Amino acid sequence: MLQNFFKVAIRNLIRHKGFSFINIAGLTFGLTACMLITLFVWDEKQYDRFLPNGERVYRIYNESTNNEGVRMLAPVPPMFATTLQQDFPAVEKTARIMMQPEYSRLFEAGKVKLYEASGFYVDSTYFDIFQLPFKYGSRKDALDDPASIVISEEMSRRFFGNDNPVGKSLLMEKQPFFVKGVFYKHPKFHLQFNYLVPMAAAGIPADRIQSWRWQQFYSYVKVKKGADVQKLEAEFKKTVAQKTETFRKEDRMTFNPFFQRLEDIHLYSADFKYDMSVRGNITYVKALTIIAVFILLIACFNFINLATAKSLQRAKEVGVRKSIGANRKQLMIQFTGETILLAFISILFSVVLTFLFLPLLNQFTDKQISFPLFTNPIVLLLLFLLTVLVGVLAGFYPALVLSGFHPVKVLKGNVVSDVLPGRIPWLRHGLVVIQFTLSVLLIISALVVYRQVKYLHNKDLGFSKEQIMFFPMRGDQLFRNHESFKNELLQSPGISSVSIGYGFPGDAVAGDQIIVPRNGEQKIYSATHLIVDHDYIKTLGLQLVVGRDFSKQIKTDKDEAFIINETAVKELGFGTPGRALGQTLLWPTWNDQRPDSLKKGMIIGVVKDFHYKSLYDKLETAVLHIYPDAYWKVAVKMKAAAIDQSIQHVKQVWNRYTPDYPIEYNFLDESFGKMYKAEDKLKALVWVFTAIAISVGCLGLFGLAAFAAERRKKEVGIRKVLGASVRGVVLLLSKDFVKLVLISLLIASPVAWYFMNQWLQDFAYRIDLGLWVFVVAGVSALMIALITVSFQAIKAAIANPVKSLRTE
Amino acid sequence: MIKITNLEKIYRTEEVETVALNKLSMQVAEGEFVAVMGPSGCGKSTLLNILGLLDDPDGGSFLFNGIEVSRFNERKRADLRKRNIGFVFQSFNLIDELTVFENVELPLIYLGVSTSERKSRVEAVLDKMQIMHRRNHYPQQLSGGQQQRVAVARAVVNKPKLILADEPTGNLDSSNGNEVMQLLTDLNEQGTTIVMVTHSEHDARYSHRIIRMLDGQTVLENLMV
Repeated sequence: MLQNFFKVAIRNLIRHKGFSFINIAGLTFGLTACMLITLFVWDEKQYDRFLPNGERVYRIYNESTNNEGVRMLAPVPPMFATTLQQDFPAVEKTARIMMQPEYSRLFEAGKVKLYEASGFYVDSTYFDIFQLPFKYGSRKDALDDPASIVISEEMSRRFFGNDNPVGKSLLMEKQPFFVKGVFYKHPKFHLQFNYLVPMAAAGIPADRIQSWRWQQFYSYVKVKKGADVQKLEAEFKKTVAQKTETFRKEDRMTFNPFFQRLEDIHLYSADFKYDMSVRGNITYVKALTIIAVFILLIACFNFINLATAKSLQRAKEVGVRKSIGANRKQLMIQFTGETILLAFISILFSVVLTFLFLPLLNQFTDKQISFPLFTNPIVLLLLFLLTVLVGVLAGFYPALVLSGFHPVKVLKGNVVSDVLPGRIPWLRHGLVVIQFTLSVLLIISALVVYRQVKYLHNKDLGFSKEQIMFFPMRGDQLFRNHESFKNELLQSPGISSVSIGYGFPGDAVAGDQIIVPRNGEQKIYSATHLIVDHDYIKTLGLQLVVGRDFSKQIKTDKDEAFIINETAVKELGFGTPGRALGQTLLWPTWNDQRPDSLKKGMIIGVVKDFHYKSLYDKLETAVLHIYPDAYWKVAVKMKAAAIDQSIQHVKQVWNRYTPDYPIEYNFLDESFGKMYKAEDKLKALVWVFTAIAISVGCLGLFGLAAFAAERRKKEVGIRKVLGASVRGVVLLLSKDFVKLVLISLLIASPVAWYFMNQWLQDFAYRIDLGLWVFVVAGVSALMIALITVSFQAIKAAIANPVKSLRTE
Repeated sequence: MIKITNLEKIYRTEEVETVALNKLSMQVAEGEFVAVMGPSGCGKSTLLNILGLLDDPDGGSFLFNGIEVSRFNERKRADLRKRNIGFVFQSFNLIDELTVFENVELPLIYLGVSTSERKSRVEAVLDKMQIMHRRNHYPQQLSGGQQQRVAVARAVVNKPKLILADEPTGNLDSSNGNEVMQLLTDLNEQGTTIVMVTHSEHDARYSHRIIRMLDGQTVLENLMV
């Protein structure tokens, strides 16, 4: 019997080529999109799962509330780990990683001299928690000696080729270390680094490592087997509340530690501040999953619609089979089986397409996702289940309809439609509405994402980021002679200004505090410190609202002057920019030798707000002042016409001042562009998958329109004989579909409005969801539907009516 | 073999109620060849469909081999049908996607007959119907007479006790028509009961008895000699 079913199924597929093509193409597109998304999502969920005992590892993060609102801080004070290790018996081990600004260090081994971008100072217990496999050396005591360094296998090859480097010397910023081990990096580890140096080598003063407020350490805890983590977390919260009580009041902030599961770090930390982990975003993962389900549903609905619309063609067969003794169950099995066969063929095609497109997805997402079709039996099992699922989902209802045909009626040719004349085919229309609702939802989302991303890239940031070359200072000689270095750079006619400082837009900025003396009290506020020189405002093209820029003529500007931004005027309680002028500010400097030294100065100017961070972040209180101890970065503003010569000039001057260090530079607008990499990718993915969803939906609509035209062939013939115009007929045949699209639009718009508003909430600066987005989405959906349908409608309308009437 | 008493069938649409069978009673004995005649709309086909368990009556009784079958559910009817009844239609009703052989084989598949036995039985019947040389052709490749021979072959392949023929020669020319009637006569002579609906007096003459119907009732019975 199965053989007979199979035969009929195959011959049917071949006989109704158009129908088979539409269904197989639709399902293939849908399934390919699904498979690619599933692979991506699966990959995103694999982070940190390779680590032995990872289920017992947690990261401590801090929910901190101050005058700027609630923030999740990935780094916590050093005493968190110390206390957990000492006072909480449920804790097996703790390890800390010191947070540092992203800064490439120069390494030298023999003749090899290279910058290495990523490395950390860590506690010696690091490898007890993260048991990375070692190629050379031993994990056990790898970080015991302050002069030891552990490097990645990649880095080892860069410096030592294929040799075993254990015991060999490696200079880090001219300071000697000896290699104690070589580990293998894992692409699914949330921390990506090339070297680790013991915390002891960082030279942290003893009193600072005892701090309860210096939030500088990523802290991990491995609990003992069977430990009650909730209880541990609750008790630890109490301890932290006690220990931080005094300064929390002083600083007007709250401290609230949480334990985050290791496997959650990658996907659930998107809004954490100062997090250096490789982070994904659960929102985007969820969005993609939803899109995958949408596309699969659209493809399945296509099948249901086409199969029921087309069921007449199979009706006679049902009648015959029933009259010779087939029962309904057998027919259901037969027709569902045919759909499963169709799904199977589509799956085969999708597997091929997935293999073809996977490299593209990998390139696009910077991933190395593989499709373990032949190596992992579970994948085969999943594909099999997917085939059956799609087959049953799409095939069950048509099978129900077909097998329910009354043999007498169909054999007499009395059934002309699965729906009585004059009745609305609710199911078919319903499914088309759902399909178009999903498509319109995707179109609206794609438009909103596109506009927001465009806005992120193009918003006036309040400064000019174009043609600014940017690089870190390197080497003692350069630090000592920064003034003359700067002057020499300015010799080139292509360079219009140079600024040296710390806190350039798009780069790391220092979050600290500022003190406002008021009524004999000293009020502390959080503030970003932008360390500047006399040319910062000029180089970045900032606008002064009131007051003046720093001036070389006024000697006190160097040590006793501050410029603040407009937000600071409000936050620090000055009311208006004018009233802020002349006010006094105090700042505890970053001088390790004299920890209690205070810089005291007057506000000499107010600059218009400018976005030195990404648009995810709200504008904060910013204080600009001169502090040469932190002259770590250089920004060179060039004239557009002379970029190449200017870069050459900078390189020449650099090599005169600090030949030991190769120069490493980028341009400010590039680093700003990179901030929105995730959004750029989201934008592209949403567009691609929206296009797929719409194409699949249109395939179905095309088929439905063809059947509608076929069914009404006689009607169209008669109307034409009676004098109907081509336009009239096209209108007649398209009208129904247009109505359905309009209904979809009504359903999709509020849903899209809600979800896109939710997404936009993440951005401090966002577009408004204008009415026109919905209009554009609606018009495009309508146009797409009309073009699809009218092709069939026009074909029917221009056909010779005599022909269609004769065939009746 | 067949005994129906006061059989009723009413077709209802929203506005009209049509009585197709009006308290009809009749009997068909085993081995009989009965022709049912009457003008269009008199209820002949409805009767045939009820006899074939393709349709159910609204009232009355239908005994098939002494068993009341008018209240059988779909599954039971399908089962009874496939074991006992063969159909021959005016428009042949062959499945276009299947070859001659496969069309004839179909009832045996639903009966669960083994592959080898199916092969021999189908070949035997095709041979008998003189259509063996066309076994691998598709219905569209055959003439009308050939198609009807295939349909008859399919109707008899499972050796049914009863063959129901609905104007079996209606779509055929006279020589092909005579051939099909001869086939049916042969089958009847070998013991198969046949009930045939026809408009043709010529065809009706092949039967033992003619039942004439009007407005859902039998009005006359002629015994053929």
